[in-house]
Amino acid sequence: MTEKRQLQKAQTRERIIAAALKVYSEQGFSAPTAAIADEANVSHGSIFVHFPTVESLWLCLLENFSQDINAEFNSLSEYGNDIERLLERHIDVLIKHEDFYKRLVKEAVYLPEEEKNTFIAIQSMVSIHLLQALEREISRKVVKNVPPHMLFNTWLGLIHYYLLNGDLFAPQDSVLKRYKSALIECFLSLIKQ
Amino acid sequence: MKTCIACGMPMKNTSDFAMSDESKDYCVYCARPDGTMQSFDEKKENMTDFIIKTQGLAREAAESAALSMMKKLPHWKNHFD
Repeated sequence: MTEKRQLQKAQTRERIIAAALKVYSEQGFSAPTAAIADEANVSHGSIFVHFPTVESLWLCLLENFSQDINAEFNSLSEYGNDIERLLERHIDVLIKHEDFYKRLVKEAVYLPEEEKNTFIAIQSMVSIHLLQALEREISRKVVKNVPPHMLFNTWLGLIHYYLLNGDLFAPQDSVLKRYKSALIECFLSLIKQ
Repeated sequence: MKTCIACGMPMKNTSDFAMSDESKDYCVYCARPDGTMQSFDEKKENMTDFIIKTQGLAREAAESAALSMMKKLPHWKNHFD
């Protein structure tokens, strides 16, 4: 394959990925691939050249999201055990992917096992960073001695509730941007001794 | 930056490496107390326990997620063929 042809192929793949992200975020994971082809301005068949199955396309989007979250958190060590900064960074990275993340939270239960497990792996990555800091603060008696998963799930529960009801809390707006400080303040006041 | 061949964790600091030895390809969490690397079953068990501890999932769901994570790591490839 010539270099030019390879470049074109890579560009088409990127267009499909960007279009899929938009279409799935807006319409859900059951959106037809024809809608993605329209959005990407490519032929319907070309989607399957790059992604033989719709599941492989879902997985690709999840892996991209996972890599982005991973990169964000790996650049975080300078904040040490500052829980507030970690929570801020978590919400910031979710704001970058807000529509896609909201869709994931809403529909993860219907996704095939591998995609669902990738979502669990993403949360696992986040939990490593948050819980390292939270456990240090528990040992210093700054944070209440609550089981780690309950701390993590309470934090996710708050975020997910506001996301899923965004139409009530922040119509036509980013609910995470609007409630970022309130959610962090509330969570910290709940967990601190 | 190296990532652990057994769990994928980025190893940024010397203390992240097994036995704090930067020549190792696996992390402190994937090492046994004597510094050797955990077996497939030990790692699966460990990852499952970690997911239960951090996310509170039921064991079967946590184990399925742990296997999915391990499947993506070249080091464990032979166990899934």
